[in-house]
Amino acid sequence: MTSIATAPPPTPATEKRHRRRRRRPRPDSFLGATPFLAPAVVLYSVFLLFPIVSAVYLSFLRWNGFPTTPQKWAGLDNYAEIFTNDTVFYTALRNSVIWVVLSLIVPTVVALGLALALNRRLLGRNLIRSIFYIPAVLASIAVATMWAWMYNPNAGLINSVLTSLGGESLIQDWLGDPKIALYSVFVAFVWQTTGFSMVLFLAGLQSVPEELVEAARLDGANPRQVFRHVTLPALRPTLTVVLVLTVISSLKVFDLIVGMTGGGPAQSTQVLALWSYSQSFINHNFGAGNALAVVLLLITLALVLPYLLWTLKEDE
Amino acid sequence: MSTRRRINYPLIGLWIGLVLSSLIWLAPFVFMVLTSLKSTADVNNSSIWSLPQEWQWHNYADAAERGDLWTVAWNSTYIALIKVPLGLFISAAAAFAIARLRFKRHRALLIVLTLGAMVPVQVALAPMFTTLGSLNLLNSTNGIILPYLAFGIPYQIFFLYGFFRSIPADLDASARIDGAGNFRLFWTVMLPLAKPALAALFILDFVATWNEYGMALVLLQDQNKATVPLALQAFQSQFTSNYGQLNAFIVMSIFPVLIVYLLFQRYFTQGALAGAIKG
Repeated sequence: MTSIATAPPPTPATEKRHRRRRRRPRPDSFLGATPFLAPAVVLYSVFLLFPIVSAVYLSFLRWNGFPTTPQKWAGLDNYAEIFTNDTVFYTALRNSVIWVVLSLIVPTVVALGLALALNRRLLGRNLIRSIFYIPAVLASIAVATMWAWMYNPNAGLINSVLTSLGGESLIQDWLGDPKIALYSVFVAFVWQTTGFSMVLFLAGLQSVPEELVEAARLDGANPRQVFRHVTLPALRPTLTVVLVLTVISSLKVFDLIVGMTGGGPAQSTQVLALWSYSQSFINHNFGAGNALAVVLLLITLALVLPYLLWTLKEDE
Repeated sequence: MSTRRRINYPLIGLWIGLVLSSLIWLAPFVFMVLTSLKSTADVNNSSIWSLPQEWQWHNYADAAERGDLWTVAWNSTYIALIKVPLGLFISAAAAFAIARLRFKRHRALLIVLTLGAMVPVQVALAPMFTTLGSLNLLNSTNGIILPYLAFGIPYQIFFLYGFFRSIPADLDASARIDGAGNFRLFWTVMLPLAKPALAALFILDFVATWNEYGMALVLLQDQNKATVPLALQAFQSQFTSNYGQLNAFIVMSIFPVLIVYLLFQRYFTQGALAGAIKG
């Protein structure tokens, strides 16, 4: 879709006149667009791009972050430190990977199931949809506080329910046991994020052609076959979006962990985003903190850049 | 005419399953509200599902005072009321330029701008702290608005770009014939058309701004500049054993967002959809 008709190639006679006229900003020229772009581009460059580029620069320094202390050039020392000496880094990296993989599966599958079920005409359908979606609008820090309270070993909901159902052997110190703490926090993440993916899937289901489903049914396809051969292919773009957004939100997980465990016990719930923050602002090691930020940035770009280029390429 | 219908047992089973799971999904809310009205002794001694022995409504007032709720709620409101409309206006202008004024390399610009939506904010926290520090804008509600604007731009531009692209080209052409310049075209033709998209973004962005924690943690360390999520986290770590008040504070902190959600449900889902799935 082009909104401005392209001018015919200038003939030698008109070329001179054209050139003179071009000095004035034409509606479709870059100059004409500048006033509209400038505020966004300036803010974006100064407060988003510049900090990201600085993170790369700061990762080569030895510095505690205080303006009064001098910065020392450290070359690749911070990276060497991370990869050879920092055991927390490997825990954080492993936990981030576990988190990404789990969240690509668990909330996505649950959300798809819910969307398929709630796409039918059912009593109270809108209310049920809302109930699943509401956690998605809450602040992660509020979700964290709620769930820390749910997991409270003595008076919390989960252990109390287990007790009253006779499952006392299942009682755990959910957030205090290094073996399970990460998964306990992940449950809260599932509770919070499933509703959003469900809404995306519900939207995607609108694009499944009704006639095709009918035709498949008439041809004797069972519900599973209809899902496999009609619904799923139509949902593919939605699925891609859901998976990409899930990867992005899993790599950003921070508030939930700060609010529930602070990375503990014994670093067992540490993730890259939190470890980078802690190195910079708690241990006052800006060099290491920013080197970790760069690692996180590279992982993110490797996972989502192909998708972004692909979307924008299709949009000719 | 016989209207006897076969009872659809699988469908009823599905419905019962859905109702049960949605009750489980709701349980944290019920548990939180019940606890918020109990005394600490009551929380420790009676069953979690029992109603409060005495309804401790004063938990709310006490928690509000302890957590300095009015100060932080005002800070959050102030930030959101400036950030959200301003950010939308800035993003709409840029999205309009990229989508409708076909300058060279507009696609490259779009890619660079939307890339920001993919980057975890934690990558930029430390440099953001030093940048705002050198501009003397730390611990300032006005200061934090700037990175908030910057981090809102990518997603909003991406969203509004898709919207502006979907408007037929004839519209610009006829406006241009009537003598409209870029500003007229943007202000009197495009912005009014974008109202539904802007409304959806407004709500989503209000909630996102109200809920933001990571940047506020780093950039607003002064207690009386804190926002609601910071105050909630502080409350949780300071008054751990007063469960009633803690839960009352959570309820109050999520209240505005719940109200916004309930009033503007339609825009919510619409916004979530339109933003993610390109038309």
